[in-house]
Amino acid sequence: MATDLQNTWHPIAASTDLVKRHVYQAQLLGREYAVWRADDGYVNIWENRCLHRGVRLSIGINDGRELKCQYHGWRYANRTAGCTYIPAHPADAPARTICNNTYPVAEASGLVWCGEHATGDLPDMSGFESVTALRGLPVNAPRDMVIEALGAYAFADGCSAQTDEHGVVTVTAADGQAVRFFVQPSDSNLSVIRGVLNQALDGAERIAALRHHNFLLDVLRSQVEARAAELETPEPMTPPIAKVSADLAEIPPEQEGGRTAELRVQVVDKTVTAEGIVSLRLEAIKGQLPTFQPGAHIDVHLQNGMVRQYSLTNGPGETDHYTIGVKREPDSRGGSVAIHDSLAVGDVLAVSAPHNNFPLRRDALHTVFVAGGIGVTPLLAMARALNSQGLSFEFHYFVQSHAHAAFRREMGEFGDALTLHKGLSPEDTGAKLRDILASPGHARHLYICGPGPMLEATRGIAADLGWSDEAVHFEYFKNTKEVDDTNSFQIELARSALSLNVPAGKTILEVLRENGINMESSCEQGACGTCRVGVIEGEVIHQDVYLNDAEKSAGKSIMTCVSRAASDRLILDI
Amino acid sequence: MIKLYDYELSGNCYKLRLLMSFLGLEYQTEAIDFYPGNQHKSDAFRRINPLGQLPVIDDDGLVLRDAQAILIYLASKYDPNGKWYPRDDAALLGQMAQWMAFADGITATSSAARLHDGLFYSSIDIDAARAGAHRLFRILDEHLFFAEEAGQDWICPGDHPTVADIACFPYVILSEEGGISRMTYPAIRRWCDRFKRIPGFIVMSGVFPAGPGFTDAAGVAA
Ligand SMILES: N[C@@H](CCC(=O)N[C@@H](CS)C(=O)NCC(=O)O)C(=O)O
Ligand code: FES
Repeated sequence: MATDLQNTWHPIAASTDLVKRHVYQAQLLGREYAVWRADDGYVNIWENRCLHRGVRLSIGINDGRELKCQYHGWRYANRTAGCTYIPAHPADAPARTICNNTYPVAEASGLVWCGEHATGDLPDMSGFESVTALRGLPVNAPRDMVIEALGAYAFADGCSAQTDEHGVVTVTAADGQAVRFFVQPSDSNLSVIRGVLNQALDGAERIAALRHHNFLLDVLRSQVEARAAELETPEPMTPPIAKVSADLAEIPPEQEGGRTAELRVQVVDKTVTAEGIVSLRLEAIKGQLPTFQPGAHIDVHLQNGMVRQYSLTNGPGETDHYTIGVKREPDSRGGSVAIHDSLAVGDVLAVSAPHNNFPLRRDALHTVFVAGGIGVTPLLAMARALNSQGLSFEFHYFVQSHAHAAFRREMGEFGDALTLHKGLSPEDTGAKLRDILASPGHARHLYICGPGPMLEATRGIAADLGWSDEAVHFEYFKNTKEVDDTNSFQIELARSALSLNVPAGKTILEVLRENGINMESSCEQGACGTCRVGVIEGEVIHQDVYLNDAEKSAGKSIMTCVSRAASDRLILDI
Repeated sequence: MIKLYDYELSGNCYKLRLLMSFLGLEYQTEAIDFYPGNQHKSDAFRRINPLGQLPVIDDDGLVLRDAQAILIYLASKYDPNGKWYPRDDAALLGQMAQWMAFADGITATSSAARLHDGLFYSSIDIDAARAGAHRLFRILDEHLFFAEEAGQDWICPGDHPTVADIACFPYVILSEEGGISRMTYPAIRRWCDRFKRIPGFIVMSGVFPAGPGFTDAAGVAA
């Protein structure tokens, strides 16, 4: 049961305490918080512990977009507190369930406010429209005792104090100057006096006022602490903190089933970013968008019933919106044309939470990005993440002409790391790629995204020049291969102890769903990797473009939306 | 060459490693087995420092003890720009001396608490040590708060940190190893971030680096 104090707002810092690139440590009703301001101004109030080993995040690093734990480097995103990267698992996308606890936050009257379950309005501040926040003064005494002492506070002639039913003390002097005190209940025997003056002061006047009140409050503190020391010290509060399970890092993403579009977003901006390409800025209608990681895509459910996948281009910490890039493809089945021609600012779309099947390693000594056309989108998000961490990369962007280069403003951040390759013929492109990929080398990784033929060519050249399969990462937009679904076979589900028949004309995915098994999927054409399932026994006919050759010949997983059995029977790990 | 009689986990020795790193000085170390060896109390070491304490340096035959004294010596002799220990301003000299004496008080309290908790010095009165450190931290936090208000980043006035910052830093940043939380000292916590961003900053066990500071689009630090 939440107590009254948990339901109300309390100041936990002055706005000026939260300087950029700093992590402030706070406590309210026994619970500790790591509080940090991102470069975009947003104030994050989180449980002060890392989900990995429980280390305090208040000793972590605020890089302006994400908070990084000092111990093993887990990274958490601005606003969502979702984990975006785990250095010990550089090749994997952290599960979406790895998300720290966030708490209500507000910033007003020069103070930063929090309440474990605060929902209502902030305290009324009429008469305090312009303010000066005093230096917060911690007192080793219970809150009630401090409030009582403030009732006798006098800072000028003719002061009179009023204490309201919430324990807010307002002291007004004869000349109308007033100070209002809120007492932050940090713990049972620790309170912080946070006062605001009803005047915005600056320069010498400000410093004089701050010093004057600081001195008077220091005297008051000595008296209250002396009194508190005579009483028995109350037991510290022990707020329950949800346990972090030891194997959190190992659990796979939660199975959410189907092609669900659990989010409602509004198009707040639609801009032509290049010839034939629009960028859409999508914001949540209510609540917070889920955490994304670089490389992630969302399913967009269009008004005409089509479902299309688009990669997020966001930089790290840009967690108040999703930005996607959409190329007009008149020859395709119409999704992009609908977006270009019919979708307008203000429209509402249903989208899925981000899926990340194209995770970015951040332990490479050097990363090479090769983007073709609209394939730039996931790579843009990746390069922005590396760039903000100061990691070494180069970005090659192949386009028809300068006018076809999208997201140039965002790419401006890359400086010399960016090379635009304009209007090259297929032969010249091949030659250029041979140049770019000339030295595979130790701990160099290559990420490719672009149209099918270019992707194939780049993979071929990379293999030729000695890049290993593990170092080459790619994502196709679509699977253009003709899918053969004419055979029929048996599947056995090792964990659910079910045996099912997959007839000609049906996919494994369809059969699983018909039998009540909740399966996640996204592109449903063997390109995105969302419907991947482990294979325990049996031979697979791979018809997807997601797995690399080494993974295909290992035969340990299957894309259930397109691939089938070569043997009579497949045993699947579900 | 300068020789530092050093113990890796000593915050007082760390003060000197910090200054020598900021100044880019080369030096040798001789490791003294403080714990568990108690080598600083050996007869041989007492001939170098009769107080039986670390740190000590030997610079070409000049043997000096006491971290604060050594900071003054090294900065005066080896800082070509005279930024770490400016000697031409009487008020500043007084302020630096004041805060260096204060730093020795931090050693006597916060370091003592850490020796008790971390290195099993059970004879130390832990409650008194912690209470003493909190008393000093309150004073330092208030000082740094008003320094920030006056646009001043460091313990002493001026736009460059001084030996006073170095003298205070180690046992402030290591205080949690003695059970002394710095949660209620936000100005101290911000100063620690600024200190960690001084070019040439190095860590020791228990001290973590800071990430890069904020610079706006025009490259101006805020
Ligand atoms: N005032 C001396 C204090 C040095 C000090 O306390 N050193 C510790 C090691 S960090 C020590 O040697 N303690 C042993 C003792 O005092 O007996 C200084 O600043 O150098
Ligand atoms: S405890 Fe935070 S990353 Fe390990």
